[in-house]
Amino acid sequence: MTGRARILKLLGSIVSESKADTTEILFIGNESGLTRYANSQIHQNTAESDSKITFRVSVGKKIGTASTNTLEKGALSRCLETAIEIAGHARPNKYFMGIADKIRPKNIKTYFESAARYTPAARAAVVGRICRASSGMGLIASGAFSTSASEIAFVNSRGAALYQPLTSAAINIVISSDSSSGYAQAVSRQAEKIDFKSLTDIATQKCLLSLGPVTLEPGKYDVLLEPMAVANLLEWLAFIGFGAVPYHDKTSFLSGKYNKRVMAPSVTIYDDGLDRSGVAFPFDFEGMAKSKVYFIKKGLAGRPVYDLQTAAKNKTKSTGHGMALGAATGPVPLNVFMLPGKKPVAKILKEIKRGVLVTRFHYINGFLDTPRALMTGMTRDGTFLIENGKIISGVKNLRFTESIIRAFSNIRAVSKETELCDTWWSDIGCISAPALHIKEFTFSGRTES
Amino acid sequence: MKENLEEIIEYLKRKKVDYADARFVDSKTESITVKNGQLEGLSRNESKGIGIRVLYNGCWGFAAGSGLTISALKNTADKAVRIARASATTRKNPVRLASVDIHRAKYMSPCLEDPFAVSLDGKIDMLMNINRIFKKHPKIKTIEGGLDFFRTEKIFCSTEGAMIEQVIVESGGGYEATAVDGREVQKRSYPNSHRGDYACAGYEFIRQMNLLENAERVADEALALLKAPPCPSGKFDIIITGSQLALQVHESCGHPVELDRVLGTEISLAGGSFLSIDKMGKFRYGSPIVNIAADATIPGGLGSFGYDDEGVAASRTDIVRDGLFAGYLSSRETAKVVDRDPNGTMRADGWNRIPLIRMTNLNLEPGEWKYDDLLADSEDGIVIDTNKSWSIDDKRLNFQFGVEAAWRVKKGKLGTMYKNPIYTGITPEFWNSCDAICNKDHWKIWGLPSCGKGEPMQTAHVAHGAAPARFRKIEMGIGR
Repeated sequence: MTGRARILKLLGSIVSESKADTTEILFIGNESGLTRYANSQIHQNTAESDSKITFRVSVGKKIGTASTNTLEKGALSRCLETAIEIAGHARPNKYFMGIADKIRPKNIKTYFESAARYTPAARAAVVGRICRASSGMGLIASGAFSTSASEIAFVNSRGAALYQPLTSAAINIVISSDSSSGYAQAVSRQAEKIDFKSLTDIATQKCLLSLGPVTLEPGKYDVLLEPMAVANLLEWLAFIGFGAVPYHDKTSFLSGKYNKRVMAPSVTIYDDGLDRSGVAFPFDFEGMAKSKVYFIKKGLAGRPVYDLQTAAKNKTKSTGHGMALGAATGPVPLNVFMLPGKKPVAKILKEIKRGVLVTRFHYINGFLDTPRALMTGMTRDGTFLIENGKIISGVKNLRFTESIIRAFSNIRAVSKETELCDTWWSDIGCISAPALHIKEFTFSGRTES
Repeated sequence: MKENLEEIIEYLKRKKVDYADARFVDSKTESITVKNGQLEGLSRNESKGIGIRVLYNGCWGFAAGSGLTISALKNTADKAVRIARASATTRKNPVRLASVDIHRAKYMSPCLEDPFAVSLDGKIDMLMNINRIFKKHPKIKTIEGGLDFFRTEKIFCSTEGAMIEQVIVESGGGYEATAVDGREVQKRSYPNSHRGDYACAGYEFIRQMNLLENAERVADEALALLKAPPCPSGKFDIIITGSQLALQVHESCGHPVELDRVLGTEISLAGGSFLSIDKMGKFRYGSPIVNIAADATIPGGLGSFGYDDEGVAASRTDIVRDGLFAGYLSSRETAKVVDRDPNGTMRADGWNRIPLIRMTNLNLEPGEWKYDDLLADSEDGIVIDTNKSWSIDDKRLNFQFGVEAAWRVKKGKLGTMYKNPIYTGITPEFWNSCDAICNKDHWKIWGLPSCGKGEPMQTAHVAHGAAPARFRKIEMGIGR
């Protein structure tokens, strides 16, 4: 870890020497370790120490971006010069309205010393227990366990000087037999708070329950989507619909529908980077404080998230969802919450006469027809047939092809329990999802696994 | 840097490791994005560092750091050894490596015109000019064009004596138009979707793509799709054009022949493979006209290189021969398990990532047909073009693809254009339904710069050669 004082002093000195009209510097430093296991033994075990320093400068309304991973004053000065040089070749960006003011971000503890000290040996010990437990039952364990200690700093020529250290841990466990598999996962800022044994038990139970799965014909079924399956769908909804770019390009299912009913009244989906029950982080990569944004409120369409540029272009304010400087993706929500309901998931299960329980989805693609949020994907690692309120057998994996707008309009129950679900950006956010009971969910195909 | 690498390898030898390699990578990229007449992205990025891979007591450890001094490298090397020791606590089967030729060599990819030396103004102007063509059409709400350039210098050094220096230059780009009319949204891209086409080449590749010359046609097709009827449902004979067929090869052949997947080491994320080891040499993957080979030696292919990231020379391998499943993509570790020679497919996404088995140029070899003859031979079918969506199960059997556009072929004539075409199938059934592949005049290598695999996610640059081909009685039109 470079530390607050050193990094802010170094970046501040570079900003002060800049000849650009505005200068922003984003620093992301990372010490991370990842232990992957398969066939009940560790097969990849890695550590990485790196930093990325990105400069975005403006000369008039011309913008240039450059980055380096060399944290030395000389290299940083050269990178700044590169950004200024290429800004000289840029065309004026009429939507550029300046950079963030100095802010005082919300005080959120995101760094835990115990988590930062998690060693490869400690990760291997956790994985060893998972592998031994599965081997003892004649099953196979696979998965990954990662821990990291990072620091993010943002400095700009309007006096912003932000620094936030953070830790994170994420684990996924797949327990498999010849004919079945089960899955469990967890994400936390504190590795020691993860209940590894409980997760192993959940994945093992799912694997054993789905031994000898039956074949189910494609068609419309009631489904009980567990939180990870719901999070898989929310991740895609966020990508194709909750950002300002698809919203204003009119490819989002929310475009032009503000305050109109688009989903069932039981659906409320929002982004809140300051909610400590998730993986909170107080500011975005443009130095803006994060704010809470409702995408769906009691089934009615809300607004998207904005960064500085999309906000200026659409005459509104940034919501604090800027991504890495220079990224062409536009703003993306990273802390998505779906509001829980009141029924326990066990009670919801009892109310389903005939249906399919889905643990998680695999390889979803949401580009089929984005205004309808038409998506396809496969079930995976624990798909079950429900009859008369009980799980009666495993089911061979099914392909769904469904409009998620339609599916979320057909929600019959939202569970009171929620789960934090890991995403690829789990250092700075994750998805909090309940389980959902949905009527007439369309499975369009099946497979042999 | 070579000296530092050699010193650190000697340091590791003194630690009595079974094997170690050190890989220095210095990468530079340039990326330009113009959207709706605005320069939305203009960046240059560089990253350099060293990844050290250690095999100790039969187990792997990998550590990577951006520190390049001898002291920093020793810290990274020590960390790799510590990690390998931790791995050994769960060891069941010790890793053994297949023996390979040891190379001390240099390689440079073909590049006629250094893309980093071409003026930024010229590149930006070209994208702006493309944008202007689309701006004439009010219903085209979004036009986004991009160019990307990569220069990667690598030095690989191992305890077995390898010392390999490589410089690889890659270029690519394209554009995508989005037409909107009420709730109807349609996209059309050129030369391929997902940011275009890429090659292991210099700026000459950009000039050859004729980006500007195709813009009017792409605009017309995007607008036509707004008025087109939906693609019909049912079973149809379909002709898949080159870029979509390239992705079909990628998903339904390339990934399932990665031997690490087959042996279960990607189960928890990407999944496994239906092509189990007992099927090698026996399983009828496709019809007898289906021949697929992986070839990292093809000049210009985005999956070409001199040596992979464990020092194995680039090679050509049969994957499917006369319809029979013939072989895997393998590493030194996995090839040893199946008692084969490794075929040089281990690549890492940068210095800070461990090498994984990755596709190279995995090509459907050309057949005998002329494209016009194939159309003329089609009594009633559908031609489908350019990928829009993709999804396949964790064993790579059940797939579904959406494409940008389709056209009905009746009595050998192209007719009605359709929107929202989707087709689905089961991999071996699909490839066994292939009854015609166009010849080498219609064959082209398509570069895909964003193949994802592994944890943390690694992105590989791969390619697939393909010519239009016909498949009989394929399920179309799901999800309407």
